[in-house]
Amino acid sequence: MFKKGLLFMLAFVLVASMAVGCTSRTNTGGNGDGKSEDSLKVGMVTDAGTIDDKSFNQGTWEGVVKAGNEFGLETRYLKPVGTTEAHYITEIGNLVDAGYKFIVCPGFKFETAIFQAQERYPDAKFVLIDGYPHAGDWAPVVAANTVSIFFAEHESGFLAGLATALELQEGEVGFIGGMEIPPVQKFNWGFQQGLLYASENFGTNVTVKAENVIYQGTFDNVAAGQQLAAQMYDKGVKAIFAAAGGVGVGSINEAKARAKDGDDVWIVGVDVDQYAEGIYEGNKSIILTSAMKQIDQAAYDMIKAEKEGVFPGGEILLFTAANDGIGIPKENPNLSADVMAKVAEAFNMIKNGTLVISDVQGDLIK
Amino acid sequence: MDYVIEMLKIRKEFPGVVACDDITLQLAKGEIHALLGENGAGKSTLMSILFGLYQPDSGTIRVRGNDVRISNPNIANDLGIGMVHQHFKLVENFTVTENIILGSESTRGLLVDVRSAADKIRVLSRRYGLNVEPESKIADVSVGMQQRVEILKMLYRDAEILIFDEPTSVLTPQEVRELMKIMRSLVNEGKSIILITHKLKEIKEIANRCTVIRRGKPVGTVDVATTSQEKLAEMMVGRKVLMKVEKGPENPGETILRLDNLSVRSGRGVLGLKNFSLDVRCGEIVGVAGVDGNGQSELVEAIVGLKKAEEGRILLNGKDVKNMSVRNRIREGMALIPGDRHKYGLILDYSLEDNLVLKVYDSQPYSRNGFLKREAIHQQAEKVISEFDVRSGQGSAGAARSLSGGNQQKAIVGREIDLNPDLLVAVQPTRGLDVGAIEYIHRRIIEQRDRGKAVLLVSLELDEILTLSDRIAVINNGELVGIVQASETNENQVGLMMAGVQREAGV
Amino acid sequence: MKPNTGKYVQQLRAIKVTINKEYVLAFVAVILGLLAGAALMLLTGNNPVSGYYYLFRGGLMNVERVGNTLATATPLIFTGLSVAFAFRTGLFNIGASGQMLIGGLFATAVGLTLDWPKPLLLPVMVFAALVGGGLWAALPGWLKARFNVHEVVATIMMNWIAYWTVFYTVPRYFKGPFLETESQRIPYNASLKLNSLTSLFGGSYINLGIFIALLFVLIAAVILERTTLGYELKAVGFNRHAAESAGISVNKNIILSMTIAGALAGLGGATFYVGYASNMQIGVLPSHGFDGIAVALLGANTPLGVLGASVFFGLLHTGKGFMNAMTRIPPEIADTVMATIIYFAATSIMVERVWTRWRAKRGGVR
Repeated sequence: MFKKGLLFMLAFVLVASMAVGCTSRTNTGGNGDGKSEDSLKVGMVTDAGTIDDKSFNQGTWEGVVKAGNEFGLETRYLKPVGTTEAHYITEIGNLVDAGYKFIVCPGFKFETAIFQAQERYPDAKFVLIDGYPHAGDWAPVVAANTVSIFFAEHESGFLAGLATALELQEGEVGFIGGMEIPPVQKFNWGFQQGLLYASENFGTNVTVKAENVIYQGTFDNVAAGQQLAAQMYDKGVKAIFAAAGGVGVGSINEAKARAKDGDDVWIVGVDVDQYAEGIYEGNKSIILTSAMKQIDQAAYDMIKAEKEGVFPGGEILLFTAANDGIGIPKENPNLSADVMAKVAEAFNMIKNGTLVISDVQGDLIK
Repeated sequence: MDYVIEMLKIRKEFPGVVACDDITLQLAKGEIHALLGENGAGKSTLMSILFGLYQPDSGTIRVRGNDVRISNPNIANDLGIGMVHQHFKLVENFTVTENIILGSESTRGLLVDVRSAADKIRVLSRRYGLNVEPESKIADVSVGMQQRVEILKMLYRDAEILIFDEPTSVLTPQEVRELMKIMRSLVNEGKSIILITHKLKEIKEIANRCTVIRRGKPVGTVDVATTSQEKLAEMMVGRKVLMKVEKGPENPGETILRLDNLSVRSGRGVLGLKNFSLDVRCGEIVGVAGVDGNGQSELVEAIVGLKKAEEGRILLNGKDVKNMSVRNRIREGMALIPGDRHKYGLILDYSLEDNLVLKVYDSQPYSRNGFLKREAIHQQAEKVISEFDVRSGQGSAGAARSLSGGNQQKAIVGREIDLNPDLLVAVQPTRGLDVGAIEYIHRRIIEQRDRGKAVLLVSLELDEILTLSDRIAVINNGELVGIVQASETNENQVGLMMAGVQREAGV
Repeated sequence: MKPNTGKYVQQLRAIKVTINKEYVLAFVAVILGLLAGAALMLLTGNNPVSGYYYLFRGGLMNVERVGNTLATATPLIFTGLSVAFAFRTGLFNIGASGQMLIGGLFATAVGLTLDWPKPLLLPVMVFAALVGGGLWAALPGWLKARFNVHEVVATIMMNWIAYWTVFYTVPRYFKGPFLETESQRIPYNASLKLNSLTSLFGGSYINLGIFIALLFVLIAAVILERTTLGYELKAVGFNRHAAESAGISVNKNIILSMTIAGALAGLGGATFYVGYASNMQIGVLPSHGFDGIAVALLGANTPLGVLGASVFFGLLHTGKGFMNAMTRIPPEIADTVMATIIYFAATSIMVERVWTRWRAKRGGVR
């Protein structure tokens, strides 16, 4: 019994050593290529979820692809096996070893991985969206080869909340978040401020109850998203702001099912324009509007900056209304022209600083 | 003579063994031809070749005068050869009909045509006196009936040549008689039968001719009517065989095992053994006779500790062991030769060596501080192997599974007797064994008695009980019918008692 | 002494035959799996030679990657041992994932609670993991022994109990300052990572876990092959009736076997959560428990076989990202290769039959 295992081991070691032998000879060929800037290769590592998540990963990847097409760059994304720091840095290492020296990582979960990577691969550049590198102690260390990007989610949420209140005029709305992390919280708080702003300035009566503000705890539990949405709709909620990745997909599914039965229910989308996701019949969608972050734009901008030699290494960038980094979609078939105009007005007020949205909880729910 | 089957000079080699060495077997039409040999003599290999499971290395097979090549069982089927296996190949929760048509279902549209199949079975059953009810479930019918279903399976497929592989080993005496009748009617209807067996009595009773093989070599083909049982046995074993074991008078001493009003529940929750009292003294063999399922297994399991006794006492050397663990009872001097050696006696996937220390592995010198001492285990195994003549192709390192049934049983007997137990409980110790092995094991059991130990023998074979026992306890429906001295009784009396008839006073 | 020598030679020959068979079967399974993968690569229009070249290179090209291969293999070794150990004793432990979670939770709890020097703290953490995993599996063992509840059902249930236990416990007691869904980061003191080891392997994720794994491969092998305990456990596994008749307590051994299997998986949890990773995430049932079944199968349920199979799988896991980065071959191909290998290992009986027939045609083996 002992020995058959041993033999298997031996055979394995043999094969393995052959593989090593092969590789060591040709090692200089593929790897040590300090090729010129012209052959910049752009890589991306996905966060939890797939590349076609209609949200964070997809948005980032679209920006990368757009830049790739425009500048003729080779692009590649890798999907890590798990969601630990080790998994992330393994894929970053794979990209770097394969010659991808410009790497975009969407999501706060990459923070500690990028912290290590920026040090270990000084000749590579990193773009971290929604987070900043740190050693695990939340003290930001943004190296010269890294850019950290944040969005003013509260502003985006505010505009969506305002649009929702103006369109519905009265009734209950709800909020479903993924994990209770700052970007999601800021969406929530901004959304609530938008509702309040509408009632104070335009006399709407759209409110949200504490029981209808829920963080599901993950970004991928589709079934839970559906269930939460069903509960809220049963309690009379008319629209739900779902800032929850895959959980939100579940909510959208529930809303679509109800809309088909003739119910008057809505979802407010997140991150990207999710209108197409909510189509249930012909051209009709249950997506009222979406609280967008211009993720694709951010990714594109960074690659463009690198191409032009102005990569803002070491900086933490904030994408806000002021630099058109957030907003609601330009096309909103479910919003009236009047609503669109009022939202645009508010957007400009935020842009020029006459209207300030708070990014902390204050008196708001959760 | 007109042969339906001729296997001429068949030779088959496995690495290191010549399983069949130029064996010739000729089956005449309408005869019952016995194939006799000890376990491992090559009977199964020869029949497997005929059935297409193995290819012979040399030799020819002729069916009704034509040379054939039987490369798989389907061809054998097409040639009208059918086999009734020793272990039935039936689906328990299917009906008789479903089992019989399995694999050759006639269909009507997309549906299986069970109705007409059942009709055909009924006709066949009546014609050969099989008395099989096509609608019953296999799980609900007796072993004898299951065997008849197997026979019907062959008849349904129009088999002309039927091979019976040890057909009586699973049957009660009545069922055996029934089977003989069926075989005769099959032959009368023009079928031909090869009967694989090692039971001389049956051959004498039913076979026309008999081909004997020994260790893969042909010994000869004889006319059964003119050959004595002793001669057949000699041909099979290769030496003179004592048909009855020599046994001196018993010399009983103190009581070793005392059962006192023992009651034990059976698996179904009812009392399988009721108020059973029995003494077994050192220096004697007490036989427990009874028809299967009358409380023997409850009795044995309660004694060795596999089942909890409901009431009563079990005294071993005067000590109540009723609530002791199996292991402690073994330590107190109890040994068991179980009735089902594969299920209870051996760990078939363990080596012979490991099996031979199954009850002592945890004591010195076979282990120390929880570590096995391989050398000591090996020596012990070699000792038992040589003392009890256990033959294993791969020595003590070979898996127990690879041993023949007789050698497996010898290994168990050796292991148990080597414990030097005060009480040896032997259940069906020679079930399924050939003459040579039976004789050997019987001798060992008597030896145990002669060394002043107590032996409790539980057997369904009345012959065995009568041969070995000094006293016979008869059990019926979980109750003790009576105890008789073996020297003062006969088959008839015990037979009656087994049926529940009380012994007349004074006998 | 001549007959004795003959017997000895005979024994040796018998052993050799079994080695050859098991070794050949595992090897054939691996080869067939690789061939199937090659066929898939061809079908998807890729070059299998370069595919495998980069796959193996990705796992072996430098010390860092060799280290990562070993680090990836470490938890697999433990879950593989766990499954194999239970299997050898006739039990099917499908709950290695849950046992791993609990082992990790126990280790994390100790590591985050006690502020001891590393050499003192680590043994306590490892021991805690062992106890946690062991207890987690002891319960299904007891249920089986006492009520004849099938261990497959019970261990699957326990997987989910473990999942939700972690889901509750981590945010409630070990929450980081920021994230709801992760425990605090394990401090260096409480991590199985060793700076000297990490730098020796060029910043790899290798940690002390691999040494603990090697130790337990040895321990498991010794228990199974050399001790009375192993003798009893296997006896119960092969034939509980015969074991019982020989005075071996079947119930005791079932509980014991499950406990040992669980303890092994628990240790795997420690090496994963405080070695490979640096914190515990909630809402993730590790896949290692199921991979462990595959590893045990391929390794013929022997400890050394498990070790070999784990390292091989670790290699594929580590290398596939690099293959993906260097070629257009989707990473799923590597997963397919693994799945195919498992498939062929599982159907080894079929392979064996073909093999036997082939041998029979050539030389004649029964």
